[in-house]
Amino acid sequence: MESLFANLALGFGVALSVQNLLYCLLGVLLGTLIGVLPGIGPIATIAMLLPVTFTLNPTSALIMLAGIYYGAQYGGSTTAILVNIPGESSSVVTCLDGYQMARQGRAGPALGIAAIGSFFAGCVATVIIALFAPPLAEVALKFGPAEYFSLMVLGLIAATVLAHGSLIKAIAMVILGLLLGLVGTDVNSGVARYSFGVSELSDGIGFVSVAMGVFGFAEIIANLEQKEKREIFTKKVSNLLPSLQDFKDSWASILRGTALGSFLGILPGGGALLASFAAYTLEKKVSKNSANFGKGAIQGVAAPESANNAGAQTSFIPLLTLGIPSNPVMALMIGAMMIQGIAPGPQVMTERPQLFWGMIASMWVGNLMLVVLNLPMIGMWIKLLMVPYRILYPSILVFCCIGVYSISNSPFDVMQTAAFGVVGYIFVKLECEPAPLILGFILGPLMEENLRRAMLLSRGDALVFFQRPISLTMLLIAGFLLAIVLAPVVRKKREEAFVEA
Amino acid sequence: MKITNGKDFWAGLMFVAFGVAFMWKAQDYAMGTSVRMGPAYFPTMLGGLLAILGAVVLLRAFVSKIENPLQVFPFKLWRIVVGLALGVVAYYAQPPHDANIALEAGHTILSGLAVGLIFAAFGERSLWVVLFSVVVFGYVLKPLGLVAAVVLLVFISAWGGHEFKIKEVTIMSVALAIFAVLAFVKGLGLPMNVWPGIWE
Repeated sequence: MESLFANLALGFGVALSVQNLLYCLLGVLLGTLIGVLPGIGPIATIAMLLPVTFTLNPTSALIMLAGIYYGAQYGGSTTAILVNIPGESSSVVTCLDGYQMARQGRAGPALGIAAIGSFFAGCVATVIIALFAPPLAEVALKFGPAEYFSLMVLGLIAATVLAHGSLIKAIAMVILGLLLGLVGTDVNSGVARYSFGVSELSDGIGFVSVAMGVFGFAEIIANLEQKEKREIFTKKVSNLLPSLQDFKDSWASILRGTALGSFLGILPGGGALLASFAAYTLEKKVSKNSANFGKGAIQGVAAPESANNAGAQTSFIPLLTLGIPSNPVMALMIGAMMIQGIAPGPQVMTERPQLFWGMIASMWVGNLMLVVLNLPMIGMWIKLLMVPYRILYPSILVFCCIGVYSISNSPFDVMQTAAFGVVGYIFVKLECEPAPLILGFILGPLMEENLRRAMLLSRGDALVFFQRPISLTMLLIAGFLLAIVLAPVVRKKREEAFVEA
Repeated sequence: MKITNGKDFWAGLMFVAFGVAFMWKAQDYAMGTSVRMGPAYFPTMLGGLLAILGAVVLLRAFVSKIENPLQVFPFKLWRIVVGLALGVVAYYAQPPHDANIALEAGHTILSGLAVGLIFAAFGERSLWVVLFSVVVFGYVLKPLGLVAAVVLLVFISAWGGHEFKIKEVTIMSVALAIFAVLAFVKGLGLPMNVWPGIWE
């Protein structure tokens, strides 16, 4: 316990330095901005900023990027409540009751409770990370290559189970991602695989290009195909503070949302998106007057908004302790760490305590900034919402292109990104979820490395994965997950859950 | 046998093609043994798995209850053929390093046209216009500088949307160009030309 306080003190010392405070502020403001704006999400933004973070020190860079992710959860609710369009995919369910509240002239309390719930969840999630990350990292330090390989299998399977759409297509996307991740020079033999003589490809396919092309560009194109319609119901929001009755109605929902979100965030494949969906469903189930849901129930805003923020933050736990990304945003964070020359994994905590604890402390600081800054700034965000998409997307493209170009100062990366834009567009049209692809892409080389080591240690005996207890447990869980999803009853429920949402 | 789910049909075909392609290309590398895996081992395994899964998706397209037309997006074959042909020409007609600017520019336009046509084969205007603007940006940034590249990017990409208001786009391109120069070149110190290379 004492070491926890010492560690947190160290973390706050780092997070409260002027420079880091500034980057934290920049991160959460940017996060809120892109959260508010529909059509650009944290994935594209972080991908865009990755090359730029190269010039920063690692701690500031990661503090800023983390701020973008949880800041986006705050911003997303604003758009959901005021415009009935999710600013972020994780605030889809907030639209249901938030917008109804706005129509009843209660946009203020809806925004207020969303922010308060998010802040509470953010505080709890920060404590959870501080409490759980160190012991988990210690366990992970004992992992051998066999355990790591099985862990990655479990992580990837869980991510596909939680993706929507067809399971088998999701698994195929993971494998395609793994294969694309293998392009480039093989560390063991020095052979340039799948580079087709292109010198740029012998360093591997650019991670930023894949993420930006498949998520950023494909998203812009998909948005352009639809005619935009955006109605802002509430132009002036007054009285942001929820009434005493509102608090009485929603405190339990905030608690439940926080608990559920924190838990789901830790799971591989989890994160803000899943957390918000699950919290809304749970709230509807436990509520005494579930008939009110969809008609402006404040619980329907409080629970998912708490849950998505909690989930966004606790999804850093597998990243920081195991070096395994649980969702595409975390995959990008791994990319950011690698750019900075940090190998993600349990050793980060012991070798770079400043970075580890500084980042955790910054999350609390960032949440505080978000509550204090955002509520008064709501008027400004509403003005931003009036900016039509035809002005927005060329601006987004400019930043994306400059970001991609600056990776290696050559047109090659820009071409590569454009090509992945086509690929991403085809994926969208064929209903293939791109999130599993990006997880596979980042884990490809790691998986191969651990598989090789495990097989070398076991002298070529593949049974090693089933003989070591931890490894066996993880594979069993992965198998179990697959089995239950394939079971007809669950399959139907799963489809319904995603359709409803 | 009739294909009911067109989306699954193409997705399955895509996975099978990727799987087989990765396995086929892996033959160029050493396989190794299970104890000491060569560079071909893991990709071959994964490629095989991908091809099998793809085949399942493909077969499912024939029995699926979900109905999707086979034409998922407007695909124009002739564009891809012409684009590829131009690409091949551009690849073999690389100008020498000491070539003059006109030759260099001609080659750039030719390669750009090839890439643009290949993109354009996949239907809708928004797709290829947006991506083409990106490609143009990548090619002109070094020779023409950041300002020109941003202005071109904004103009071309704005043309891909629903409405194109010349006044609005002009103001936007100027504002974005100024911002890009201030933020990225002056602020972050990225090494980029601001103006065409000949001027500096």
